[in-house]
Amino acid sequence: MNEVLLELKNIHKSFGQHLIHSGVSLTLHRGESLGLLGGSGTGKSVLLRSIIGLERIDEGEILFKGERIDQLTENKLIPYRIKISYSFQSGALFDSINVFENIAYPLFEHTTFSYAQIKDKVAEMLKLIDLEGKEELMPSDLSGGMQKRVGMARAMILNPEIVLYDEPTAGLDPANTLNVVSLMQKLKKKGLASIFVTHDIPSAIMLCDRIVVLHEGKIIFNDTPYKFQNSEDPNVRKFISQQGLHI
Amino acid sequence: MIDLIVSKLHNRYEATKNFFVFVGEIFGLLFETIQCTFSRPFYFSRLMEQINHNGYGSISITVVIGLTMGLVMTLNFGYGLAKFGGTLYVPAVVSLSLAREMAPLFTSLLVAGRVGSGIAAEIGAMSVTQQIDAIRALGTSPVRVLVVPRFWSLVISLPLLSALSFAVGVIGGMIVCKMEFDIVPGFYLYKVFATVKFRDYMSGIIKSAVFGGIITIFACYKGLLTKEGTKGVGVTTTWVVVTASILILVTDFFISKIFLVIW
Repeated sequence: MNEVLLELKNIHKSFGQHLIHSGVSLTLHRGESLGLLGGSGTGKSVLLRSIIGLERIDEGEILFKGERIDQLTENKLIPYRIKISYSFQSGALFDSINVFENIAYPLFEHTTFSYAQIKDKVAEMLKLIDLEGKEELMPSDLSGGMQKRVGMARAMILNPEIVLYDEPTAGLDPANTLNVVSLMQKLKKKGLASIFVTHDIPSAIMLCDRIVVLHEGKIIFNDTPYKFQNSEDPNVRKFISQQGLHI
Repeated sequence: MIDLIVSKLHNRYEATKNFFVFVGEIFGLLFETIQCTFSRPFYFSRLMEQINHNGYGSISITVVIGLTMGLVMTLNFGYGLAKFGGTLYVPAVVSLSLAREMAPLFTSLLVAGRVGSGIAAEIGAMSVTQQIDAIRALGTSPVRVLVVPRFWSLVISLPLLSALSFAVGVIGGMIVCKMEFDIVPGFYLYKVFATVKFRDYMSGIIKSAVFGGIITIFACYKGLLTKEGTKGVGVTTTWVVVTASILILVTDFFISKIFLVIW
């Protein structure tokens, strides 16, 4: 088995009286793609946000390469946020700057590259996401699918070790979904480990090495896509049928 | 009955606790802003951009408010003092009022409306569209990136705007003095410079810098905590303008008092 990059141990999280996670534990290995599924409001996105410290967990431990990161301050989290990048559901592009500046933002902040080097890196990234020549466009000029791809490019530009995708295919038409999924496949081939939060079961089965299902604050399934499709667990079957799939 | 009392006491306790948490968070943001100013990286180009937007962009309304204040105050003081034969005191009274109180106060209130609401709406909209989360997720600090340039832009710009407002107000007063009360500009300006001392200018300048800090810290604080979509942005904007305006008025009293006592 490959090196364990990320380990979540017995995570508990609640918002006021509302329990989100009740003892969630999982591991992510180098190069592995993990699909995180579950109904709406089961805390999939909260789990991703907790990993990079955008939400603080109430109990448990989050370890990156064996180092505990859940108790670090904002400043001490910075090096880990470079290694673990987050691709937002909406893209979360900075709407006052153009595509080039959005993708280049982490490079300007965290590297000493010259402007020419940054320009080359952004051009390379735009080629990867099939948006060559769109550097000067503003986020408002892009379609939803394009915004998500630019968001993914921005998350990828510093060569992270793990990418957390928060519903990258949500709200996209089939053509755009295919674009995003093929981009994720390209990145997976480069050896990036990822956690892929989604409701899109076919994409998760296509992309992921392992599927995890969250239900009522706990993990009720954690195995291969093949076993997921053939699971006899009533909650997993119910989740699959609720998504309109009959596998 | 006892339940009612307990419930009321609990509510009081919660309200008091929330107030102290709020005050703590405001001072926490102020402390972090100052801390980020004196550590790298410092975004000088963003500071210049904000000075251009918040300071230079407020010049036109500053000129209008300054001129209006000068004209109206001179007219009222002129006719008021004329009843007691005190018309010649008008330049002194107007210029002193403008330098110590009216120019910094009215300019700050106007800037609180224009710039404070703009900062709150911009940062609030960034919050509800997850752009603040994106700044954090990309390994940068929203305070360093957003708050520091805005804070210093207004702390630097507002005293300059107040000085401009004072100068334009003095010119407005001079026009009214000449046209309504036959006071020649030479005498008017002599009385202005003879009356307004260095400490009076400094009082206005320091007040304006403090008001600039109040406007930006409250606008950024509320903007960063904005939730509930566009409705939340609207609520944030209103809250910032009202709170900053009240705080400017209250703080003005205390700073005036301190200056009168120590200087």
